Amino acid sequence: MTSNIMLTLAFLAGVLAVYYLTPRAGRLWLLLAASLLFYLSADPRMLLLSGGSTLWSYFAGIRTEEAETKKEKKLWLTAAVVPVLLVLFVFKYLNFFTESFAALLSLAGLSAGFPVLSLVLPLGISYYTFKMISYNADIYLGKRKAEKGVPGLCAYLTYILFFPQILSGPIERSEGFLAQLHEGPVYDAGLFAEGIQRIVLGLFKKMVIANRLSAYVDTIFSAPEAYPGLACVMAAVFYSFQIYCDFSGYSDIAIGMGNLLGIRSKKNFDCPYFSRGIKEFWSRWHISLSSWLKDYVYIPLGGNRVSSFRYGVNIMVTFLVSGLWHGASWTFVIWGGIHGVWNLLSGKKKPDCTLPRRIWQTALTFLSVTLGWIFFRAESLGAAFSFLKRIVTGFSLSYLDIQNSILPFTRDNTCAAYFLTACGFLFLLFLYERGRVYGRTREKGETYLSAFWLAVMTMSVVLFGVFGVSGFLYANF
Amino acid sequence: MKRVLTAIGSALLAAFLLIILKNEYARLLPVSTYGMQAAIAQEETENLFIGSSMFRQGLSIDVLEEELPGNSYILSYNGNQPALMAMELQYMLEEGLKIQNLYIDLYPYTAAADPWISDTKILLDTDLDFKLRAWRLMAESGEASFSDFFEFFVTANNEQLLTYPVNNRLVSSQFRNGGTLLSQEGSTKEELDALGTLGGREGLNEAQVQGYREIAALAEQYDLNLYFLETPKYERMYQDEDYRELYELCLQEVRELERSWNGSGSFAVICAEELNFDTSDAANYQDLIHLSAEGRKEYTKLLCVAVAGR
Repeated sequence: MTSNIMLTLAFLAGVLAVYYLTPRAGRLWLLLAASLLFYLSADPRMLLLSGGSTLWSYFAGIRTEEAETKKEKKLWLTAAVVPVLLVLFVFKYLNFFTESFAALLSLAGLSAGFPVLSLVLPLGISYYTFKMISYNADIYLGKRKAEKGVPGLCAYLTYILFFPQILSGPIERSEGFLAQLHEGPVYDAGLFAEGIQRIVLGLFKKMVIANRLSAYVDTIFSAPEAYPGLACVMAAVFYSFQIYCDFSGYSDIAIGMGNLLGIRSKKNFDCPYFSRGIKEFWSRWHISLSSWLKDYVYIPLGGNRVSSFRYGVNIMVTFLVSGLWHGASWTFVIWGGIHGVWNLLSGKKKPDCTLPRRIWQTALTFLSVTLGWIFFRAESLGAAFSFLKRIVTGFSLSYLDIQNSILPFTRDNTCAAYFLTACGFLFLLFLYERGRVYGRTREKGETYLSAFWLAVMTMSVVLFGVFGVSGFLYANF
Repeated sequence: MKRVLTAIGSALLAAFLLIILKNEYARLLPVSTYGMQAAIAQEETENLFIGSSMFRQGLSIDVLEEELPGNSYILSYNGNQPALMAMELQYMLEEGLKIQNLYIDLYPYTAAADPWISDTKILLDTDLDFKLRAWRLMAESGEASFSDFFEFFVTANNEQLLTYPVNNRLVSSQFRNGGTLLSQEGSTKEELDALGTLGGREGLNEAQVQGYREIAALAEQYDLNLYFLETPKYERMYQDEDYRELYELCLQEVRELERSWNGSGSFAVICAEELNFDTSDAANYQDLIHLSAEGRKEYTKLLCVAVAGR
């Protein structure tokens, strides 16, 4: 179910069919039942683990609040956070660290055999672990009260396992979400309409753009040496758009589904490729994760109110954690490191500079981010460097190379049509987002889609949606 | 809310109308240099070749135009099957195309497959009625799902239509009278030996055999000379028992048709083995079943001599 957005939407339709007929007080229970059913259908073996972690986090939250001394509170916070981090570590990172350690030993001429665990990553573990940590940390910091009693437990379980967001986030903060659950979600026509708009926008990004680009990107990244350097450049650029449309598309759908259920969420993406610098990029990309890292890693480390050296360390640690969160591989660590370095090197952008300068800054930021995505997408560090080498050594704009760079789209004489269509839809997205960033639509609300855009995107999904590709890139994290 | 529902409803209605228009009228777009509509636009062709990629890669339009009397046209779609070829032939005859000599691709693997349209260009070339008949054929004999239906009627060819002015010009430049103008290089023995064979099938498919029968019946009805052609495969294919078995079954069916042939035109089966074509020369092949540009020229010359001798 989780790998197919259409099935997820069908599941939502089933829930909605009874949701607003249920008395307001019962909707929380219905949401919990739906979320448990969803998790059970997708990953039945892991429900015990995720449910158990949630119960422990809930219990530790109460004890943190009830603790009388700071030391005791800290102990309970540690008791809440360490086990969930340990579970995450075992399932996601243990093999990576043991393999890396073994490789290090072999470099020193020593050999060590570590057992390799073949564990299936529990559904949504990276997302719900971070949700739990922020919940417990907020109680420790006195930012919120602990959930208590049966309604509190029910609300907390729903918050952690909320089915639209369990797969690929966003990493919703507990405060606003839980308050809405306790009030009891109500039907709000405006919010419902906003939800539909978000879902259409998300489907457009995912089905029409991300799925369309995925086959080409996969082909080139799997064997860059077999294609011209131009194809590698195209694949890197297309991957930038694929990952954005895939992930922000899912976020839009997930938030939209929440809206249909009467739950408001903050936006997770804000036209990130219009950023004029890397700092701005991170304020627009995966906002729920970057703000989480800022609040629970960067600021506790001291933020920027420390020496220059410590500030640099804090930035690097934050971005390396961000890289590791995305995956247990050196490619993700390097990707995080690259963004950390760029953050340290980038200065503040003047808001009122000339248009050519703004375009230059935007293009440069996009190219820098694209360079980072090459490491993010590559199977290994070696593969990333081979890819970059191919771009440098195999690049030309000869007719044959242009032809051979477009051919992998379909491998037959329809390749030009697919290439032009993909470029056309990217241009459409550019126009839409340009309107959101610089135009009047921004003033009209976060999800405002004019009737024109709504109609264009609906038609595009029906007529140009690529439905054969299932799964979301960020579901793997 | 009302605005949202109106916009989405209007978009769905517009999409529905576009789908109907596409399925019925896309064929009326100015013709390219390949496919059914380009053949129909010729109104008359002495030699019509209908087949799969075996014909596209196996027949040289240059040689056919030089060696055969009258004009020639190669109608080839990827994975084109006998059942579909029969429908295509009927469609073109009903649209008024006049033919003298009809050449049909005898490729055992397409005759063993469930009816299926692999090349969506067929859908771009035909009207809604053809598509509905093709869909019924696929649904009855195969495992057609809703997503196939959606792709078949809704999403197929939309990219080509959206980019028609550019795409049609680009693709059309690769063909003349349905024959490919692209030049594919030959392989080496090592390259061909590294390729796996295509595996076994469970005999011929009844709908495809029926397709051969319908083609013969149409040839009789329109007084056509009918030729079944088997293009040369690499020697490894002839040593492959699975292929050999299907090949023999295909030949049996076609010989049966020959015995019951009642048309005023002639009936012939020309297999690659009867021609003096070097099936062991890897340079003649792009892969195990498709000819290279050189192999294509060589085979077409031999074929024209064989046709002239009948």
